[in-house]
Amino acid sequence: MNSKSPCTLLSIASIIWLFSSSAFSACDFDTDDADSPNFVDKIIECDETIKTTNKPSQRKAADTQATKLYGDGTLDRASGIFERPIVAAGSMNHSPNKAFASRQAYSLRPGAKFEQSVTLAIQRLYIEMAHHCAQGWSIEGQWSEADPQQEGDYFLHYRFICAG
Amino acid sequence: MNKLMLSAAIASTIGFASLGYADGPIDGTIYGKVNVSVVNADDGASDEWKLNSNASRLGVKGKTEIADGLYAVYKAEFEMCVDDGDCKGQTFTQRNIMGGIRGSFGTVWAGKHDSPTKLAQNKIDLFNDLEGDIKNTFEGENRVSNIVAYTSPTINGFSSTVAMMPGEGADVDGDGQDDTGLTDGISYSVSYSMDNLYIAIAGDQDVDSQDLMRIVAQYKFDALKLGVMYQQNEDNLGTKDESGFFVSAAYQLDKKTTLKAQYGSIEDDVDGDEEETLSLGADYKLAKSTKVYVFYTDNTDSSTGVANDEDTAFGLGMEHKF
Repeated sequence: MNSKSPCTLLSIASIIWLFSSSAFSACDFDTDDADSPNFVDKIIECDETIKTTNKPSQRKAADTQATKLYGDGTLDRASGIFERPIVAAGSMNHSPNKAFASRQAYSLRPGAKFEQSVTLAIQRLYIEMAHHCAQGWSIEGQWSEADPQQEGDYFLHYRFICAG
Repeated sequence: MNKLMLSAAIASTIGFASLGYADGPIDGTIYGKVNVSVVNADDGASDEWKLNSNASRLGVKGKTEIADGLYAVYKAEFEMCVDDGDCKGQTFTQRNIMGGIRGSFGTVWAGKHDSPTKLAQNKIDLFNDLEGDIKNTFEGENRVSNIVAYTSPTINGFSSTVAMMPGEGADVDGDGQDDTGLTDGISYSVSYSMDNLYIAIAGDQDVDSQDLMRIVAQYKFDALKLGVMYQQNEDNLGTKDESGFFVSAAYQLDKKTTLKAQYGSIEDDVDGDEEETLSLGADYKLAKSTKVYVFYTDNTDSSTGVANDEDTAFGLGMEHKF
């Protein structure tokens, strides 16, 4: 093994320490994502997760992991596998006290179609909530984030918990 | 002030200067992995046991929103050699390093990085960085310098990347002339990804002295993930004109265990040489980011009029990501 001078090692250690505050975030970025075709998407999405989870008002909500109903789903920390529950169209399911996170796209662009309106996005979210929490639910949080692919487009997120 | 103190002081000053401009946490994340294996490698004449570091790495990546919807994105990744600390004479060697601007128009990025063709493979290679790595059999797995690239936004599942590589005076096409243009080497990919399906077509022109085209497909059926690739490539000197295919399958037996197999074959139409790779293995997850694995690989090079050159290896390893 190469022998390195103490000053070099101390410099490396100092730089690592500088980043350590953000190194252990709640981000689900996988090391191999850095070599994936959409590696920039992974960087953008992951950093958004960091920002969100550092907001005090949302920290409590993040403590209880919600099962994502979009994208790849939610990473099962025990198995390391992404899981996304799928329910049959029109079916009614209910998992007492289980938390879910759902999102729908909408657009505020002047030329946006009616199908892209926030009204329909909310309606789709309510249908989705009814599918997963047929006996009722409470909405724990809602927020919008911009779609980086298209200015004026957003994702409306709902975090909800099935009634106990 | 002695050198030790000076070095620490400089590092600290740079760091606190960054903190001064950061809004909240420092806009960057350290990530990486340690992947080591104990391997018995047999080249047909003799065998030896060795400890391998399989592309263990340390990286920093992040993004900064510089205007509404406009981001500066960066990534700097370095290989560290866990087995003996010697990465080609260095403590760290450069892997993918890039910086770019991302907006609604897509991403413009530059650096030293895996080519779009290599990225398009999308890890159908299940024994990446091990003896069965696809790069030991197939061309096109290139990390290229001086890459300037544009990646489109993903629209209805479609995305594309085109990259150009100035030769900077090197003879990249092998015609005996120094290449000084902006597009001396070109690499591109077009991909479609939706639900469990991924399809890509990618190609190189004058990259690593090769012209190349590959088609990649990947599909997930519940616990089974299949990958297939077809590739054609020829070098600029006309001494190689290859075509071949590659298939892989991963079956998730339960939450912790995944069985893996892959096979590839490529034949050179110029001299009739053929290369084959076969790998079998299993991963066992110990935790979210930690796994142990076993594998067996047989790489065979069949040259016309010469005895087959067969390399086999089996091993046990572990990987921990952070």
